[in-house]
Amino acid sequence: MWLNRNITKTKTDAKSLSMLLAEFFKVGEGGLQDWVKRRFVEKFYGSRPHPFVLALQHPSRGTLLGYVVEHQHFLRQWVRSCSFIMARTDATDVILYELDNINTEFGGLGPEQPSHYELLLRMGESLGLDRTKILATPALTDTVEAIQVWDNICQQDHWVEAMVAMHGLELIANRNLRKEGARMHYFDPTILETGEVTDATRAFLREGYDADVGHSEEALDLAAKYADRFSIVEDVQATFMRSIDAFDRYLMARLERGRQFESA
Amino acid sequence: MRVPEKGCVLCEATWGDYWDEVEGQRMFFCCDICAVEFKNMIREVIARTGWESIDEIKIDGDYRGRDCIALKGDKRYGFFVRFDSKGQVQDLNDRPITGARVEPQKSKAV
Repeated sequence: MWLNRNITKTKTDAKSLSMLLAEFFKVGEGGLQDWVKRRFVEKFYGSRPHPFVLALQHPSRGTLLGYVVEHQHFLRQWVRSCSFIMARTDATDVILYELDNINTEFGGLGPEQPSHYELLLRMGESLGLDRTKILATPALTDTVEAIQVWDNICQQDHWVEAMVAMHGLELIANRNLRKEGARMHYFDPTILETGEVTDATRAFLREGYDADVGHSEEALDLAAKYADRFSIVEDVQATFMRSIDAFDRYLMARLERGRQFESA
Repeated sequence: MRVPEKGCVLCEATWGDYWDEVEGQRMFFCCDICAVEFKNMIREVIARTGWESIDEIKIDGDYRGRDCIALKGDKRYGFFVRFDSKGQVQDLNDRPITGARVEPQKSKAV
C-alpha cells in the first residue's frame, strides 16, 4: 500500500525498486527542509490536491464547522505533542520554540492575542454552533486514529522525529508553498477580503495564514540541524511519511464531519 | 463480473499476490485490505440496487475516495465510496464528496 501511494503502482524488480526508493528519500542541497516540503506539496497540493484543501478554497458553512469540531481535538493533542518534545530535549532553542508555539496555538498572549484554539472556537460560534456543543462533540474515528499516531510518535520516537512529524504539518497553511510547486493556497486568499465568510472565520484563517509560515520553517530548520547532529535523517523521513498519512485521513475527517452538518 | 486484465481489482496496482473469491469469482488484489474493501463495496451495491449480480464496476479515484459506476445489463448505478482504515465502507453515496472532484480555482493575487 505504501509503495502504491508513494513510489509506483507497477511492480518492479528489486534493483529498480531500490533506485526508486533511493530517489524518493534523497536529500538534496536544500537539506531535510526541502525534502519535507517536496513530499508535503506532492501529497496535499500536487496533481490531486487534498479534497479538504479544495473545499476550503471557498468553504461552505458545513466545511468550516467540520474544521472546528475536528480541529479542537487536533489542537489539544498539539499541546501534548509539543510538551513531549520539550520534555525529551535539553536543547534550549527547541524548548523556546515549543514554548512560543504552545502559547500561540493554545495558551494565547492575553486578550489582545487570543490563541489559535480560541479563534477556532469563535469561528464555530460565529457559524451558529454553541461553544459547549463544540467542546462536547467527540472526534470522528479517523481523527482519533490520527491523534493516536501522533501521540505514539511523540512519546516513543526521537524528539527530532516528533518535531518534524508535528511542525511539518504546519506547512499546510504556508503561503510560500506556491514557490515550491503547490497548485494553490490553503484557501483562496480573496476570502479574507470579502464578506464571503464571517469575521471570526477571517480572524482564524488570517492568524494561521500569517503565523504558520515562520513557525513551520523555523521548526524544520531546528529539526534539520539536530537530525544531522544525531545522524537520524532517515528515521525522521520515515516518521514524517507516517505523520502525513495520518494527517491525510484527519483532513478527510473534517470533510466527513462537514457533510454531517450539511445533511442535518 | 468483468475485472481489469491486469493488476488489483480495486486499485490496479501490480504489487502483491493476494487472491480472494468475490461473488463466486477468484480475483487478484494487491493486498488483503483492497480485497476487504472491494467485497464490502460489492455487498453494499447489491444491497442498495437489489441486483442479483454486477456485470462490471468502473472505478476512478484513489484511497481518499472513488467515483464508481456499477453496470448490470443496461442499468447503471453511480456512487462515491470511501473506506475506513480497516476496509469498512465509511461513506457510500450517490453524490461526489464535497469539492473532491472539482478543478482547483485560480487564486487571485492579494
